Amino acid sequence: MSPQFDRRGEGIVVTLDANEIELLRTIPDEVRGALESPTAKDDPVYNRLFPSAYLDPTEESAEQEWQELVHPELLQTRLDALELVTTTLDRAVTKRGRAEVELAPEEVEAWLGVVNDARLTLGTRLGVTEDAESEAIDPSDPTAPAHAVYGWLTWFENDLVETLLG
Amino acid sequence: MSTAPLEVEEPLTDEAIGTDRPWIVIVWNDPVNLMSYVVYVFQKLFGYSREKATQLMLQVHHEGKAAVSEGTREKAEADVSRLHAHGLWATMEHPS
Repeated sequence: MSPQFDRRGEGIVVTLDANEIELLRTIPDEVRGALESPTAKDDPVYNRLFPSAYLDPTEESAEQEWQELVHPELLQTRLDALELVTTTLDRAVTKRGRAEVELAPEEVEAWLGVVNDARLTLGTRLGVTEDAESEAIDPSDPTAPAHAVYGWLTWFENDLVETLLG
Repeated sequence: MSTAPLEVEEPLTDEAIGTDRPWIVIVWNDPVNLMSYVVYVFQKLFGYSREKATQLMLQVHHEGKAAVSEGTREKAEADVSRLHAHGLWATMEHPS
């Protein structure tokens, strides 16, 4: 079985199996680590999640001002979304061995943002390329489990977006 | 290759130099963001039609980048931060 997305009113009902719920529960901590670790700012993941606005080096002071203005809010929005994914997973209802989570529109946005941030985090760590999905990973490769999670999140996100695009 | 400078009769003011020239917001290709997701974000943030959002996404994918919006420095900064909030790699520039 695979995750299933059904529109209900303005929101979406996500149906998952037990393994998928467990996997999703680990995701907020994965992303939080990239956002909050003491060495986060030296991590390429951090630069990927919070890139510069200006490429032009003569705009360095504008860049600094912009960072000071928006960075705290960008960070807080991401942390709030992580929290929302955890609290919505806690209210999953199990029916016939499958768990259903009903999400309001703003909760759908939080899930989408967190899954995308998780893919950016894992993808940056794994150094994925655009052709990565077609490359088979040797199961004995130490990064094979992370590649499997990345692949599952890719599938999950694409199905969710297709549902939203309608 | 160079082009001849335009003849300008009047001294350049701030305005003539280009404070009213729009800033351009660029989205860059990256190996992680999904094509479907990028279309969704362009529609959501800029209100673009599915067709226009798809065209911009394909431009990012094939050419490595696309200009997705333009405006004052303040508007461009706001658009860049909204794109970053959605995990897209965006920058802004003032073409000379």
